[in-house]
Amino acid sequence: MATPTRPSLDDPALTIPVDHAGVFDPIPVAQTERQREFYALKDGEMLLNMGPQHPSTHGVLRMVLKINGEQVTDLDPVLGYLHRGVEKLCENADYHQVISQVDPLEYIASLFNEWGAVLSFEKLLDLEVPRRAEYIRVLSAELNRVASHMLYLGFFALDLGGITPILWSFAERDEIMEMLAALTGQKLLFNYFRIGGVNGDLNHEFMSRLGDWMGRAGAQLEAGMGLLNENEIFVRRARGMGVIDRETALRMCVTGPNLRASGVPFDLRRAHPYSVYPELDFDVPTRSEGDSLARFLLRVDEVRQSLRIIDQCLHQMPDGPVSARVPRLLRPRPGRAFSSVEAPRGQCSTYVVSDGTDQPFRMRIHDPSFLHLQLMGLLMPGNLLPDTMAIMASLDPVMGGVDK
Amino acid sequence: MSSIPGLGLVKGMALTLRRFFQPAVTIKYPELDPDIAVKYRGRLQLLHDEHGTLKCETCFQCAQACPIECIDMGGTDTRGRYAVHWGAAETYGERRTESALRRSGREVPDALFTTFEPVDLAAVDAILESHDHDPHRMLSILEAVQAEFGHLPVAALKRISHRTGAWYAMIYGTASYYRHLRFERTVEEVAVCRCMACLMAGGGRLAEAIGAGLRTEMGRPTPDGRIRFAWLSTHPPGGAAPLVALDGEAQPEVTATNATAWAQALAGEHPATRTVH
Amino acid sequence: MTAVTSYWNRLSLPSRVLLVLLPTLLVLGGAATVALVLLLPPLVDFLGANAGLVRFVVAATIIVAITIPTAFLIIYLELKVIARMNLRVGPDRVGPFGSAQSLAHGFKVLGKEDYTPRGVDVPIFTLAPVAVFLTTIMSFLVVPFAPGLVAQDFNIALLYFFAIGGLNIVGLMMAGWASFNKYSLLGALRAAAQAISYEIPLTLSVVGVIILAGTMSLNAIVEQQAGSLLDWNVWKQPLGLLIFFIAGIAEANRTPLDMTEADQELVAGFATEYSGMRYGFFFFAEYVNVFIISAMTVVLFFGGWNAPFDWPFPVVLALDPGSLGLGLLFVVGLAPVLGTVLLALPFWLGSSRISALQALVIGFVLFNLLAVGAFFGWAFISFDWVVGLFWMMAKSYVFVFVFVQMRATFPRVRVDQLMGFAWKWLLPASLLNIFATAIAVSILANR
Repeated sequence: MATPTRPSLDDPALTIPVDHAGVFDPIPVAQTERQREFYALKDGEMLLNMGPQHPSTHGVLRMVLKINGEQVTDLDPVLGYLHRGVEKLCENADYHQVISQVDPLEYIASLFNEWGAVLSFEKLLDLEVPRRAEYIRVLSAELNRVASHMLYLGFFALDLGGITPILWSFAERDEIMEMLAALTGQKLLFNYFRIGGVNGDLNHEFMSRLGDWMGRAGAQLEAGMGLLNENEIFVRRARGMGVIDRETALRMCVTGPNLRASGVPFDLRRAHPYSVYPELDFDVPTRSEGDSLARFLLRVDEVRQSLRIIDQCLHQMPDGPVSARVPRLLRPRPGRAFSSVEAPRGQCSTYVVSDGTDQPFRMRIHDPSFLHLQLMGLLMPGNLLPDTMAIMASLDPVMGGVDK
Repeated sequence: MSSIPGLGLVKGMALTLRRFFQPAVTIKYPELDPDIAVKYRGRLQLLHDEHGTLKCETCFQCAQACPIECIDMGGTDTRGRYAVHWGAAETYGERRTESALRRSGREVPDALFTTFEPVDLAAVDAILESHDHDPHRMLSILEAVQAEFGHLPVAALKRISHRTGAWYAMIYGTASYYRHLRFERTVEEVAVCRCMACLMAGGGRLAEAIGAGLRTEMGRPTPDGRIRFAWLSTHPPGGAAPLVALDGEAQPEVTATNATAWAQALAGEHPATRTVH
Repeated sequence: MTAVTSYWNRLSLPSRVLLVLLPTLLVLGGAATVALVLLLPPLVDFLGANAGLVRFVVAATIIVAITIPTAFLIIYLELKVIARMNLRVGPDRVGPFGSAQSLAHGFKVLGKEDYTPRGVDVPIFTLAPVAVFLTTIMSFLVVPFAPGLVAQDFNIALLYFFAIGGLNIVGLMMAGWASFNKYSLLGALRAAAQAISYEIPLTLSVVGVIILAGTMSLNAIVEQQAGSLLDWNVWKQPLGLLIFFIAGIAEANRTPLDMTEADQELVAGFATEYSGMRYGFFFFAEYVNVFIISAMTVVLFFGGWNAPFDWPFPVVLALDPGSLGLGLLFVVGLAPVLGTVLLALPFWLGSSRISALQALVIGFVLFNLLAVGAFFGWAFISFDWVVGLFWMMAKSYVFVFVFVQMRATFPRVRVDQLMGFAWKWLLPASLLNIFATAIAVSILANR
């Protein structure tokens, strides 16, 4: 076996150009027309690299900004720093193992990733899920939605400079994580949903923690958000920033709270209902301004609605098994299935192609954050530098889902 | 937003001031432990049931089900004799060396890893009987086995493991620790150089003589398979012609007159008294 | 020689230290005594002749010495107070309740690698932190801490203060430009723009106070607010206070007006390329600036070192320890022991888990606290500068707390909104304040 050769340091393709002053300013080789146009700087413009390691890019996202003084004129996002080959890994895994592979996509709301995969598998198998399992799914998923929105609210305030709301919302999130740990056994990547139901029934520890939390959840939220809702500085920063109008939102395939904040009352739980959502009574909050403040307030409203749903789930919980009997070795019929769930960030779709073996032939996951990042090219130019981060924070991307 | 400009700011300050006097929600680890849920799956420990016995039965279901094959486990059977293993091959004692050699790019001498060949177990049983099946006398058991077979066959080691109760990996460890114990059959090579100078000096007749002494022909091994007989590929520098090499080392004292006797002695010598090169 | 080496090798470490140290000390001590005896009288004469200069040097030294502990204290307070507001605990590992955290920070910045990145303009890069820190210390020189405790009291003190504050900007610009980094450049330009914009309302807001006081000397301004709570300038100049405080937030680069060090956008602004003690200088300077703005607010508007109310009962402390004679020796010897035992007794008797030794330790600590408290009480009553210093510090730290609370509570104002606010709101308001004050003063004077 030959030892691998090391790249030679004399290789011209690998050297960084050094100019005569001894300092370097590496301009990457432009590969497309758009890149060539981007890297041609006009008078007064400067390239600023907000690199993958940055305190507030919501994960590993690299953006090359072209700024003119303080104003951003163009940007070139570079994705892929968190690419883990999840879709390929799913091709090498059993159907049961796919659930844990798919968890870390949008890792903050991982139950929704699992739900998408599990729904599409159940469609392939024509499997009916017991009603109690469905209710438990909705309950845990709505708890995860609340936790995800709490994180969003905290980070949005942090990117605007307020260092306190994030800690308050994380205290809330901690409680929900502990609750879900009592139910599922894990705090972040739950691996709880199974094909045909869930893994494990409600237990006393979960119920007592949930009861404790529900008693104070509403009041804590109102008190905490009161810091921001009425704060003049916060409102003046967030209002009118990063406006997405209705047509742009629909054209750019925006889904979820970002779409509803632009005036389109589209919620998958009402438009294409799945699970037991038709039996639950909740509103779909909508706002029409389309700016960051609307997105922020909308998610606060969504948390309130989620609390309503959780309450109803607890009251209407039926008895029964929590999982259908599914064989260990699953060989679904050859075919395709598509499913969508309303994740906290938008519409998370899963498309599975089965070829009759015990491993899926192809899993394609379509998550909302990737599409929302396309909006950056429309929203950021023309805004000032501090607003770039705030706009990205208001879109709520999770790089795990973007890069898969 | 309130009607009076600035009132929101003041309310915010009032809220922070109120929170200033509330107790902190931090749990001061490690003085205080947080309540971990009973169902928490993240503990890196094997659990015991209420009687104190280990719950894990080494059934390998978790290792087989793991999507990323990260579980490596081993154990023993209920009577503590057989070692069972599931996981990456490079952690098996018996395959570790082969794997390491492969990964470093070196050649793996096949003789090192002959497959499980059956041997006459009666001899092994006799040795074990004479040592009273005592695993503490493993070194002398192994030396006796080597004296019997010329090396330590895997079948014999497994037999020892069955009969003494010692773990196979432990026996392997003992055997690999001592330099005079070897796992591979000794295969010695007698080579005769066939460069023009050596052939002109009588290399052909030398080869015939050695072949007669070893009771084999050029290019074939001896009947018991212990000694190979081949042409040497290159003439080493400084060697006198005709050149005979034993395991790569030139043997200048072997000439046409004493070649046959030398080869007979080589073929007939008791393997246990040979020293390892 | 070998006898010496063998003797040396046989010595233990403490003996070696002693063997080297004692003769050195003896020699040095002898030399010092000789020098002192010969040189002291002329030195004393010289110092006596230039008393003002001596006073200034001593005052400046004290100020340089107290800036670092002040910065440490404010850093610790900020960490703990913001943590409490966040429902967290803050540092509590290093020292009791984390009080030595700042010290650990200090050692950390001292111990970091001191490097100069490639391409920087080395003299300017090195001098920038010095410039920033120096201006901060220089503005300390005119702040009156107590009657008689002001480093230099001259009659344009307020003007001097604002002038030195303007020099701060030069240091920031030096840092940003010399760093050879786009982030730093952006941060420095923002800092300069912000500081210049807010200098003008800052300066104009105190013109009202100057009109009322008739002088720019800070000492005189404080003396004119003597009396009680109702004599303070805050009742006469509320708008001035508001403008001064807000502009002061911008001058100190604190949230909500801290565009210069928004770490969510530009990693550390103008200080991105600095590490170790140079970075430490910038941030000590910032925290000392916070203290100075608070102190100035107190001096100009809240009565400086004046107490808010007079102590209603006149306290006369006619203590004459010398009259006890030999009894003094007994008191000094017995009081600690007696005090320790008396204070330990309740703990030992009251709880069965506290052993006698632990109770004695507790008693000793409590006795020390009582003694220190009694000493401070006596100083408080006897010396008016102690009273003044206490009130000045207390009031200043109330405003430091307000600064810290604002950092915890508010998000950041965007840079164009920041500028707009300064030019469109604060500047007209401060002009309005000047006119109103002038009109009011002339009306009241004519009456």
